[in-house]
Amino acid sequence: MNIFQNLGLGFQTALTLKNIYFCFLGCLWGSMVGVLPGIGPLAGIALLIPATYGMDVTGAIIMLAGIYYGAMYGGSTTSILMNIPGESASVVTCLDGYQMTKKGRAGAALFIAAWGSWVGGTLSVIGIMLLAPTLADLAMKFGPAEMFALLLVAFVLLGSLGTGSFLKSMAMIILGLLVGTVGLDNLTGAYRFTYGIRDLSDGIGFVPVAMGMFGIGEILSATEETLVHEFYQPRLRELLPNRQEFAASLGPILRGSGLGFFAGLLPGSAHVLSSFLSYIVEKRISRRPEEFGTGCIQGVAGPETANNAATGGAMVLFLALGIPTGPAIAVMMIALLIHGIRPGPLFISEQPQLFWSLIASMYVGNVILVALNLPLVGLFVNLLRVPFWILFPVVLLICMIGTYSISLSRFDLIVLLGSGVMGYILRKLRYDLAPLVLALIIGPTLEESFRQALMRSGGSFAIFWGSPMALSFMALAAFLLFWSIWRSLQPVSGKKS
Amino acid sequence: MKALTLLLLLTLWGTSTAQAGFPERAITVINPQAPGGAHDAQGRAFAAVAEKYLGKPIVVVNKPGANTMIGSIAAAQAAPDGYTLLLGSTMTTTVVEWDIINGKKPGVTRNEFVPIGSLTLIPTVISVPANSPWKSVADLVKDAKARPGQYAFCSAGILSPSHLGAELFARAYGLKFRHVPYKGGGPCLSAAVGGHVDFTTQFTITTIPLAQGNRLRILAVQADRRVKAIPDVPTLKELGVNAESYMWVGLVAPKKTPAPVVEKLQEVTAKAVQDKAFGEAIEKLGGEVHFMNGAQLEKYWEKETAEMAKLLGDLHREGVKID
Repeated sequence: MNIFQNLGLGFQTALTLKNIYFCFLGCLWGSMVGVLPGIGPLAGIALLIPATYGMDVTGAIIMLAGIYYGAMYGGSTTSILMNIPGESASVVTCLDGYQMTKKGRAGAALFIAAWGSWVGGTLSVIGIMLLAPTLADLAMKFGPAEMFALLLVAFVLLGSLGTGSFLKSMAMIILGLLVGTVGLDNLTGAYRFTYGIRDLSDGIGFVPVAMGMFGIGEILSATEETLVHEFYQPRLRELLPNRQEFAASLGPILRGSGLGFFAGLLPGSAHVLSSFLSYIVEKRISRRPEEFGTGCIQGVAGPETANNAATGGAMVLFLALGIPTGPAIAVMMIALLIHGIRPGPLFISEQPQLFWSLIASMYVGNVILVALNLPLVGLFVNLLRVPFWILFPVVLLICMIGTYSISLSRFDLIVLLGSGVMGYILRKLRYDLAPLVLALIIGPTLEESFRQALMRSGGSFAIFWGSPMALSFMALAAFLLFWSIWRSLQPVSGKKS
Repeated sequence: MKALTLLLLLTLWGTSTAQAGFPERAITVINPQAPGGAHDAQGRAFAAVAEKYLGKPIVVVNKPGANTMIGSIAAAQAAPDGYTLLLGSTMTTTVVEWDIINGKKPGVTRNEFVPIGSLTLIPTVISVPANSPWKSVADLVKDAKARPGQYAFCSAGILSPSHLGAELFARAYGLKFRHVPYKGGGPCLSAAVGGHVDFTTQFTITTIPLAQGNRLRILAVQADRRVKAIPDVPTLKELGVNAESYMWVGLVAPKKTPAPVVEKLQEVTAKAVQDKAFGEAIEKLGGEVHFMNGAQLEKYWEKETAEMAKLLGDLHREGVKID
C-alpha cells in the first residue's frame, strides 16, 4: 500500500500555485458562505459551478470541496457571537457558544471552534485516505432498520438536551415531531396537514425554523431588553482560551472527530446529527453536566469538531461509491460530470491523480482555513461592538436572503419570520428551543426509516433486531432509556459528588 | 450636477443596445427538482454548452417542491418572453395525470407549455445487488412467481419513474412485489447496493457506474434497444415483454411565448444538444442524447400522457393510495 507515495504525488499537484489559489478561493468563499446565516455550502457550490466550466477538473474539484468543508468553519461564528446559527449544523453551538459570549469569552469560543474544526477536518481527511473503501462498505450496511435504531438512540437522548424542566422539554420535542409530519409523505404519497397549500407539500423546512427560532427570536428578545451590550474592549489575552479551556477541550475534540466522521457517513441530515450527538455525548460524559447550557467550552469544542469531521465522512461515500450523501455533494458530483469525470466505485482506481490531489488539497485547505479564521477571531469579536440597532437589522436581512436562496420560495420567508415570533414567545415562557428544532430534524427520518423497515419486512418487527448493528443500537437505546428513568427516580439529594 | 448627467447618459447608452433582439440578457431555466439529481446534471451540462450558441448566460435555478409541481407552476406563470424556461420531464406528465385521475385540478397542464426540444430520453434498467443469486431476469421472475409479495424493490419516491418502471415490469410478468420508497435516487441506490432490497429499476445514468464497479448487477434494460455503455445487457423487448420505461428531459416554454423567440430557442437547443461536447458529457453520464425538436417532442409528450393515464388509472383502481 504505497499510500505515502500516492499522497506525495497528490501534494505535487495540490501544491502548485494555481491549485493553491483555487483552494484558497474555495475556502474563502466557503467561510463567507458559512458565516452568513441561511446561505450554506449548497448555495455556495451551485453559484460557482458556471465559473468552473472553463477550469481544469482538478482545480474545479479542489475549489468546490474547499467551499464544502470551509462552510463548516464559518458556521460557528454567528452562532457563538449572536446566537444565530450560520449553518444548520451549528444550531447546537449556539447553546453554549452564545453563553460564553455573554460571559465575555467569545474570543476563546471562536478560537477553540476554529482549532477544533481544523483537527476534525484533518483527522477526517486521514480517515478518508486510509479507510474510504472499507467505510463505504460499512455505510452500505446501514439499512432502514439500522438507521431507525441509531436515530432512536439520538431521540432518547434528546430529552437530556434541555436545561430546564423535563416536562417542558418533552412538550418541545412533541411539538417538533408534529411540525415535522407536515407535508407530502414520501411513503404513501398522502399530503399530511397541508390544507391544500401547495407550498406546504414539502413540509416546513428546518433551516428556516432553526434560523427563525434561534436567530430572529434572539433579535426580537434582545431589542426588548434595552440592551446596551456592554462589550468589553477585547485584549489579545482575552481572545485566546486560557489553559484550562484548552485542556478541557482536548477530549471533546478527539471524541468529536471520531463521532462526526462516522455520523458523516450516513445519508441525510448527517452534519446536524454529528454536532448534536457530540454535544449529547459530552454532556453525558462530563463530571459537571449542569454546566452545559451556561457557557461550557466542551459544548462548543465537541460539536464544532464533529461537524467538520462529518464533511470528511460525507465525502467517503461519494469518493468510494459515487453516491452523494447530501445536496451539496450531489452538486459537486454534477460539476465532475460536466467535466467528463464519472464518480463511481471505479473513481479512485481510474482517476488516482484526481483523487489524491483532492485528498492532498483537503489537508492544505484545512490549514488555509485555520490560518484564515484564527486571526479573524479578533475582527469578529469586534463585530459585537457595532450598535445593535445597526447590527440586528442587517443580520435579519441576511437571514432572509439566506433562507430565500434555498428554494427561492416566499413561503420559506413566512416560515422564517413566523418561527422568529414563535421563538420569541417560547423564550419569554422559558422553553428550550433546541429540543424542538432537533426533534424537527430527526423526527421525519426516524418515522420514515421505521416504516421503510417494516415495508421491507412485510410487517415483521424482527427486522429491528435482525442484524448485529440494528440489534446493538436498539439495545443501546433501551439501556439509555431505562438508565434515564432510573436516574430520574433517584431521590434528589443535593449536588452529586 | 455633472455627475448626475453623466450617470443618466450612461444609463441611456445601456438601454440603446437593448433593441438588438432576443436574447438581450441571461435566460433562466427552472429545474423543478432538488439540486444534484439526474435532471440537474443534464440541465447544467446543457447550459454549459448552449451558452456558446445563445450568446448570453443560461442560469439553472432549482425550485423543487410537490414532485416538480411548484417549479412547473412558477415557469408556467412566468412572463412569456423567452427568458424563463422549464426543464420539463416525464415527472411533469406523471404528476399532472395523477391529479386528473384523482379528480383534482392539476396546478399546470401540458397545454400551458410549448415544447422547445428534448435533451435525452433515458430508459430505466433492472438491477440487483452484486451478491444477489439472480443472474438474469428469468431467475428473478421464477423466484417472484414462487413467492409472490415476498421480494421488495426500492424507488426514488412514489410515482417516480423508478417506481412506475418497476410497476410496468411487475405487471408485464404478473408479479407482486413490496415497494419501499426512498427519498431520491441516491438513498435508493444505497439501499440497493447494501442489499436492503431485492432489486430496483433506476436510470442508466446512476446505475451504470455502480454496475461497472461491481456493486450492482444489471439484468435488463427497459427499452427497445440496447444501451451502448452496457452492450451485453438484454432489453425486455428481446425477452419478449412489453415494459418499456423512459424518462425524457427537455426544455419547454410558457405557451404564449412569441413565435420568433420560440424559433430562436429551438434553434439554439438543436445546436447545443447535437454538439459533440454535450454528447460526450451525457455519455459519460451513461445516457444517450436523444434530440426531438419541438414538434416531435409535442407528439411524444401526447403519447406519453395517454400511456401514463392508462398506467396510473390501473394503479388507482388497485388502490395505490396517493392523495
